[in-house]
Amino acid sequence: MAFQSNALCFGSDLPGQGIPSHVETTPEGLALTFSDQHSQPPVPFDQLSLEAGGFDHDQLVVKWTQGGASRTLYIKDAAVIAAFRHAAPPELLAHFDRAAASVRQVRTTRRTVLLAVVGLLVTLGLGAWFGSDALATWAVSLIPPEWEKQIGESAMKDVLAQQEVVREGPVVDAVKEMTTRLTEQIANSPYQFTVTVVKSPVVNAFALPGGSVVVFTGLVKEAKSPEEVAGVLGHEINHVLQRHGMERIVKTLGVMAIAAIVFGDQQGLIGLAKQLGVEIITLKYNRDQETEADLTGLRLLHKAKVDPAGMIAFFERLAQSEKETQRVELLSTHPMSARRAGQLTAELKALPKFLPEPFAFDWEKVQASIKSSDAQPKL
Amino acid sequence: MKIEILYPGAFPMARVQLAAGESLKAESGAMVSISTTIDVESKVEGGLLKALSRRVLTGEHFFFQTLRAVRGAGEALLAPTVPGDIVIIELDGVHEYLVQKDGFLAGSEQVRIESKMQSLARGLLGGEGFFILKISGEGQLILNSFGAIHKVELKPDEEYIVDNSHLVAWTATTTYKIEKASSGWISSFTSGEGFVCRFRGPGLVYLQSRNPQGFGSWIRQFIPASSE
Ligand SMILES: [Zn+2]
Repeated sequence: MAFQSNALCFGSDLPGQGIPSHVETTPEGLALTFSDQHSQPPVPFDQLSLEAGGFDHDQLVVKWTQGGASRTLYIKDAAVIAAFRHAAPPELLAHFDRAAASVRQVRTTRRTVLLAVVGLLVTLGLGAWFGSDALATWAVSLIPPEWEKQIGESAMKDVLAQQEVVREGPVVDAVKEMTTRLTEQIANSPYQFTVTVVKSPVVNAFALPGGSVVVFTGLVKEAKSPEEVAGVLGHEINHVLQRHGMERIVKTLGVMAIAAIVFGDQQGLIGLAKQLGVEIITLKYNRDQETEADLTGLRLLHKAKVDPAGMIAFFERLAQSEKETQRVELLSTHPMSARRAGQLTAELKALPKFLPEPFAFDWEKVQASIKSSDAQPKL
Repeated sequence: MKIEILYPGAFPMARVQLAAGESLKAESGAMVSISTTIDVESKVEGGLLKALSRRVLTGEHFFFQTLRAVRGAGEALLAPTVPGDIVIIELDGVHEYLVQKDGFLAGSEQVRIESKMQSLARGLLGGEGFFILKISGEGQLILNSFGAIHKVELKPDEEYIVDNSHLVAWTATTTYKIEKASSGWISSFTSGEGFVCRFRGPGLVYLQSRNPQGFGSWIRQFIPASSE
């Protein structure tokens, strides 16, 4: 009869991958033969210790020492385990039963978890069938602001690790003044907005969930007025308030993120979001979100008595540069700047007239400080 | 069935020769070419729900493909998506392998493939995701890695620490837990190496010499970031 292995034997003096073995129970203990047909010395029951092992805890792990070397035998074969149970003395079986009970418990827990996951998948599957966007939006509405704050702050640390942060000076003061002026007008805001200035020629700003806003010095440098910068800030702040970023994140992460939210697993969601890392800032908002952020941003400027002409002028200038680069609206997920400027102008007409109040800082000094720091050689 | 590795190194292929009637399970993107005697069947491995869970939760393809030599003997060429080694493992019926989802290339028909859920913490923190493949039975298993593949043998109770994203496969006799890398874990997050697996022997662990996430972020730095 050909050698039939039904167990795997490991030992401090054996190869790490283990030796396929054939094991049989005898009235006295175990009879073991290695795959090279070498019979091993018989192992009496009173030298054994038992536990459950293997990925699914479905293997019987038998340990003993033999001539100073440790031996660990993994048995998966149900017939061998049954024979072992039949032959082994009661005192060893007490041990065996404890091991088996722990296996059963692990299995029951796993089955319960599996059932829960299956149930959830079916629910989510149906949800996905009827519109995954609605499901993600609903899930996002359940996220406490505190979670958003942690996700945003964690991503912020990753982003800033690769950037040169401007900690003080006229630009920081100006950007903070603008942010405060806008956020003061938000009634019952669940978010604490913080703004960070990053030295970079990029003409942009972005906001992370929970209220972390980043402004690049390039935006302040290229803006023709502080109201233009405030317009961009108003837009970004509204991405946070409408939870657009969180929606992008949840849609990108998919079912598991929704499950984490539904189960109230904060660490789970934060862990998932961390997998996105710095990519969080490259997640695109969709057109509707951009339009919503534009219009609510404009209303916020209006409330804060900041001249909205700056915001509109900014989009008009963007439109001009797009004309030069021939961007095609159909191919873009973002509304074209010209259309955005048009929508804003229409929205502004619908709002009551007001007298804008200028900012306290000296705009020329702010811009000059960027130019002089740009000119400085980097140490 | 005879498997041969062509062009070993960064860009290998596996050539599998099938006798008439024999078949092979392959990861569904793996097929490069086949003889006209071979048919490709897309068959759900392990039941619909399992296949569904595999697709939903690991983002893996819905099916493994079965390549069957229906009209006589023939050969199939298989290749992984990423550059790196291919190794052949002879399954002896007693060894069980746990394979992270991108590590499986193909296996002979008698090889059993099950998707297994890891614990929530392992799935969240480990790079391999929630589901891994448990592979057992008798026959041949073909794994692939990103970069070179390296085998580590662990004696009983011997411990060894591996960065998550470098894991390819391990045998079921090992136990492992996920740990935070000891220092500077926030900064190491950006390099994709925040968490490690502490393995405990006996058994085998297969590592890959390159980290897919690290490579991804290395590539990404050349792509201009755009945000509104
Ligand atoms: Zn926007």
